[in-house]
Amino acid sequence: MRWLPAFLSVSLLAGGSLAAKKTSEERFKSFHSKSLSSAPLKLSDASYRDLTSAPRDYTAAIVLTAMDARFGCQLCREFAPEWELLAKSWTKGDRAAESRLLFGTLDFLDGRDIFMSLGLQTAPILLLFPPNAGPHAVASADPIRYDFTNGPQTAEFVHGWIARHLPDRPHPPVKRPINWIRWISTFVIVSGSLTASYVAWPYIIPILQSRNVWSAITLISILLFTSGHMYNHIRKVPYVASDGKGGISYFAGGFQNQYGLETQIIAGIYGFLSLAGISLAIKVPRTANANAQTVLALVWGVLLFVIYSFLISIFRVKNAGYPLSLPPFM
Amino acid sequence: MSADPLDTLATIGKGKSTRSALRVVILALIAAASIASRLFSVIRFESIIHEFDPWFNFRATKYLVANGFYSFWDWFDDRTWHPLGRVTGGTLYPGLMVTSGAIWHALRALTIPVDIRNVCVLLAPAFSGLTAIAAYLLTNEMTTSNSAGLLAALFMGIAPGYISRSVAGSYDNEAIAIFLLVFTFFLWIKALKQGSMLWGALCALFYGYMVASWGGYAFITCLLPLHSFVLICMGRYSTRLYVAYTTWYALGTLASMQIPFVGFLPVKTSEHMPALGIFGFLQLLAFLDYVRSAIPSRQFQSFLWIFAGGIFTIGLAGLVVATSAGIIAPWSGRFYSLWDTGYAKIHIPIIASVSEHQPTAWPAFFFDLNMLVFLFPVGVYLCFQELADEHVFIIVYAVFGSYFAGVMVRLMLTLTPVVCVAAAIAISTLLDTYLDTKTPPEDQQSAEGSEKKSAKPGLKSASKPVVGVYSIWSKGLMVGSFSIYLLIFVLHCTWVTSNAYSSPSVVLASRMPDGSQHIIDDYREAYQWLRQNTKEDAKIMSWWDYGYQIGGMADRPTLVDNNTWNNTHIATVGKAMSSREEVSYPIMRQHEVDYVLVVFGGLLGYSGDDINKFLWMVRIAEGIWPDEVNERSFFTPRGEYRVDGEATETMKNSLMYKMSYYNFNNLFPPGQAVDRMRQARLPEVGPTLSTMEEAFTSENWIIRIYKVKDLDNLGRDHISAAAFDRGQKKRKATKKRGPRVLRVE
Repeated sequence: MRWLPAFLSVSLLAGGSLAAKKTSEERFKSFHSKSLSSAPLKLSDASYRDLTSAPRDYTAAIVLTAMDARFGCQLCREFAPEWELLAKSWTKGDRAAESRLLFGTLDFLDGRDIFMSLGLQTAPILLLFPPNAGPHAVASADPIRYDFTNGPQTAEFVHGWIARHLPDRPHPPVKRPINWIRWISTFVIVSGSLTASYVAWPYIIPILQSRNVWSAITLISILLFTSGHMYNHIRKVPYVASDGKGGISYFAGGFQNQYGLETQIIAGIYGFLSLAGISLAIKVPRTANANAQTVLALVWGVLLFVIYSFLISIFRVKNAGYPLSLPPFM
Repeated sequence: MSADPLDTLATIGKGKSTRSALRVVILALIAAASIASRLFSVIRFESIIHEFDPWFNFRATKYLVANGFYSFWDWFDDRTWHPLGRVTGGTLYPGLMVTSGAIWHALRALTIPVDIRNVCVLLAPAFSGLTAIAAYLLTNEMTTSNSAGLLAALFMGIAPGYISRSVAGSYDNEAIAIFLLVFTFFLWIKALKQGSMLWGALCALFYGYMVASWGGYAFITCLLPLHSFVLICMGRYSTRLYVAYTTWYALGTLASMQIPFVGFLPVKTSEHMPALGIFGFLQLLAFLDYVRSAIPSRQFQSFLWIFAGGIFTIGLAGLVVATSAGIIAPWSGRFYSLWDTGYAKIHIPIIASVSEHQPTAWPAFFFDLNMLVFLFPVGVYLCFQELADEHVFIIVYAVFGSYFAGVMVRLMLTLTPVVCVAAAIAISTLLDTYLDTKTPPEDQQSAEGSEKKSAKPGLKSASKPVVGVYSIWSKGLMVGSFSIYLLIFVLHCTWVTSNAYSSPSVVLASRMPDGSQHIIDDYREAYQWLRQNTKEDAKIMSWWDYGYQIGGMADRPTLVDNNTWNNTHIATVGKAMSSREEVSYPIMRQHEVDYVLVVFGGLLGYSGDDINKFLWMVRIAEGIWPDEVNERSFFTPRGEYRVDGEATETMKNSLMYKMSYYNFNNLFPPGQAVDRMRQARLPEVGPTLSTMEEAFTSENWIIRIYKVKDLDNLGRDHISAAAFDRGQKKRKATKKRGPRVLRVE
């Protein structure tokens, strides 16, 4: 709230100079006619001050964003199409302007001064300026701020937030355009795959009935699940992280944490150990040559031992108090 | 020479009767070991109920024993969820309470006087012994090897993944449910293999018992139809499958509908729909099978398959339509979060707030299963070798069990049985191969007819015939290393059980600098204080985690508890905790709250306290009142969650913050107050409380209880009354006193 006095004085000053010429109603009309052709309004320093100047009998919802690639604002770019969709469908659904709401976007490049005067450190930020004159006027005309703390929001979600702050006014719903490309591509893919499977049916049947294929699928999915892949999927963990010394940290500290690469290493170890077990149980006793069999058994047995010891040593990294260990990696 | 003692050793176990006697002895020893390994907490602390939910189960069991079965069935509990109350008899799974009640009555009938508490404490270890035996039976259905079943029983008995939920004192539904799960699966396999109605009916009986015991019965409800469906897809429809499935489904569904809490769910909700769908599909298949036998024709056969497929598709479409039209209840929240865990995070904060519903990181798998985690795929692969109907079951169970265990930590419990069975198959195959004393003759390479084997569709790796192991070296290495692995497994399980799963969490233990044990007993101290110093019907407000314990140990009515059936009521408590005193006080008055209990770990560095859970209270309250509670305002402008001088005004004025840190700085020299949990230096001036007064603070400050003040005698509001008491002169109040307002509350 530190920036409020500064902001108010700036907007009052600017508003005073411009609003002397136009009334609130005139300003709304001109902005609304513009927004009918291109919603949301693309604002600049001057038009932002004009739009938010003091006696206003309408509401203004303005996103302060930084779209230029230099700022690397991923969130801004993700939110921009949603915001456009919301502004377009609201303005289209309310041509008579009964909700008296204007949508605007102020880019950092066009409104550097505004950003400075608001003391903004982050983008995007959505400000909702309630009216301070006219029938919908509210007691405090301070803008209501919406922060994107939960990541990019959908148009529907922001619509709900705006609608909550505009009681007893019409709230035109968000209308998503039909995604023709998606429908057509889905249709093409489905029909194509149906045709392909019809043609290739005699070749697919042996694959579908092959135990080797099914056992591979089963084992791979079990290994994925038991090595914490679902955790990565749900929590969206980083693939690797820096260890603070310029190197790569492969294993996350703490028992409840993991990195993407870490789970792949673990899945690899489990897979290797399982392979050793399968070879020892199935392959080795079926090897007819005595010498080859002995070599095979010894190699797999020793590898199993060493890798298992390595696995335990990794686990000791994750769980500092773990007391057990096996020889090579003590 | 060396074969001589080996031979004598081998002949000991040769006789059939000796073997079965040995097996019984070993099984009994395994059951005893699995019971014994769960007694750490009783030996270390005392015979006490653990955690949170068990306290409710214990309270319900006491009610059942005291009032009899019928009043338990109709129990309306007015001492929880004040002022709403809870229809307890109709909203619980009664299996656990009825089981321990029955055991208690049986022991009394045998003139063994035993306290119901001891029955409850020791129920889980006793049932884990039975689970080991059930795992033995299930594994014996899978393989001809003699040792596999015993190994599976051993693994099941001591695997930490199961111990985590079944130590002595952990009196929860899972205590008996895992035994029922494994035993139902055994009966299902038995029924399927023999096509027997008797085994099918037994399976339905135990399924009914399972439904009466645990909400996780849905796992069986989905797994058995899935198994049948996979069998049908493999072209393995048989009358055995038809008899087993229809018997189980018809009787099992009827049995499950006898539980009031389940009622008509089996024909309404979509998680029961696969079972119903496969039931109908099997009827169609049986009909077509009959027709085919009557009219043998090749074209007719292909027509039949198309017909069956069409019906199945129509049924599926009907299911989708009925679900979307709202005739069948959509997937219930907890179940839905299994498929899309992002859903819970967005829509139902109360589900996301429960740590048991979090996804599983890989260390948890290794921690709970140790070496079984990589022997498990080996066992599953071995199941592909023979691939009889029962092996398909293990494969299907393995894939789905591991998926669910990966999504939700708690479901590690349902994965553990199949891991034990599969790993036992793997180890017993290995040991059978390498422990064989016979050495095959050197040159028998092409002697066996390999063309006979290769004709069969099977695994590529198993296409050659088995010749056996030649070298004593490879035998020695394998047997030796696997003995080491098994030994490590036992050590691991003992260590995990002793260190991680045997703390009652009601009593905390810590080590003194000299290594002796120090018991922190704040919870029981505080609950005892409530029991002895408050009115019998004093309402206690706390976060829902402590509801069951307050009900069980302090015997006082609570506003919310761990049975989170009413989200709005929980959000009300969350709002009271996260708002300013001026907002909270009317809420507390409206709910007739007498005392407020908070858990505070700042003095001791105890991480499970309310300040750490506080954001969930805010989030849940925000879900209902988005305009009045705002999560963002609890974070500093830089996005940090702080409790020190930099904390936001909203945070500092929230009731939870005030109650946690009230008077806390008096413990320290001025300006030195430090929250040891969050390593934060607190502001010099602590918070002030106007609408409540401190009633009790436990020895280590873990529990703090506040009494909500009655209305002021002079009609002032509490803020100005408290300011007056502190000696602060009223600044404006004298000037701006308005007309007297009649007190209406």
